[in-house]
Amino acid sequence: MAKWRVMTVDDSAAILTIIAAYLEDSEFEVIAAERDGIMAVERFAQERPDIVLLDLIMPGQSGVETLERILAIDPDAFVVIVSSLGTEDAVHECLTSGARSFLQKPFTRDDFIDFMRDLTQVA
Amino acid sequence: MFFGQYLLSRGVISREVLIEAIERQRETNLSLVELAVRDGCIEPQRAEGILTRYRTTDAGLEELCLEYGQIDREKLEELLRIQRSDWVRIGAALIESGHLNPEQVEEHLAAFDELQDEANRQLAADFRACKDPETAKTVIELSVFHLQRFTGGPVTLLTLAADDGILASGRRRYAQKLVGDRELYCALDLPSQLATAIAQDFIGIPVEDNSEVAIDAVCECVNIIGGHACTELEASGFRLRPEPPFLAEGIEPTRELQSCTRAFVMAGDFEVDVRVFV
Repeated sequence: MAKWRVMTVDDSAAILTIIAAYLEDSEFEVIAAERDGIMAVERFAQERPDIVLLDLIMPGQSGVETLERILAIDPDAFVVIVSSLGTEDAVHECLTSGARSFLQKPFTRDDFIDFMRDLTQVA
Repeated sequence: MFFGQYLLSRGVISREVLIEAIERQRETNLSLVELAVRDGCIEPQRAEGILTRYRTTDAGLEELCLEYGQIDREKLEELLRIQRSDWVRIGAALIESGHLNPEQVEEHLAAFDELQDEANRQLAADFRACKDPETAKTVIELSVFHLQRFTGGPVTLLTLAADDGILASGRRRYAQKLVGDRELYCALDLPSQLATAIAQDFIGIPVEDNSEVAIDAVCECVNIIGGHACTELEASGFRLRPEPPFLAEGIEPTRELQSCTRAFVMAGDFEVDVRVFV
């Protein structure tokens, strides 16, 4: 069975490392990891991943701006926000901007894999 | 400060006697997860998973044992009863070894409790005296909570004070600006050995002291504290959002802001400053 192709975007290399480790040996494959919103949009256009895991608070182009640019390229893009910020305001802004879901950091491997598997039911 | 430390500081017991009493406690005082493993109702490998989950999420240990330990509530209650009945307090260990008698323990304990109450009253008064007390209290308490999770050991808030925000020697400052209804910085001033330990635990792989990956991981820990502070303060009507965390050098945040609250915290054997610049 083909793996789900995942792109991760976070200015923290630590979070990119953790997510890559969590998804190892699973039905998900990290095909691209970017630490910057502008690069992420370019990479999205090239790779067209099945799922984008996108940080909200990043230097330069924010997560919401990145989300909007990705959706301008592909309105059906499946983008999930992964952030330490979990305010109603932030969740509302992300979901109304087109994010499909929202995961608050921190999380464990099991919780993360469960979350990803739940996503594939609707992706 | 715990009771044993108090007795040592007052010269009631010697260092050697305290070490002996703590070792006696370690033999018998098992955590809920250790008890469950000893009882055979949680496998050691699963216990590690439960402890990792405990360190990295907001869930309580009892709740996690029920969910992932394949034990029911009745078994959990039984383990808690065993834990309570086997638990040896430091005073009991000192009576048992003949270093103090029950009357002496009672007398010192009463004085210790009074001292603790006074310290707590002082902390509450210090919080009230902070500039923007609600924000400072939220950030500092969340920092203590998450430091406990990140380090997997005891973390105690000792004192609070307003100060000039200057970084103590041998520490590095990991900070984050929160903006919105108001502007503030939250910061952890950490010794490099503790920062490395936090980073390794967070990523799950060995990292070198002060390496880019270690700094990045600790910044992410600060980001979790800052993000959760914004989330918690939203319930009190504040609209805040965090900016990307960073390694600050020197007194950078104080250049823009007027007030700094310094919380003096012990994380295991390490001294940590949690700072809120408002």
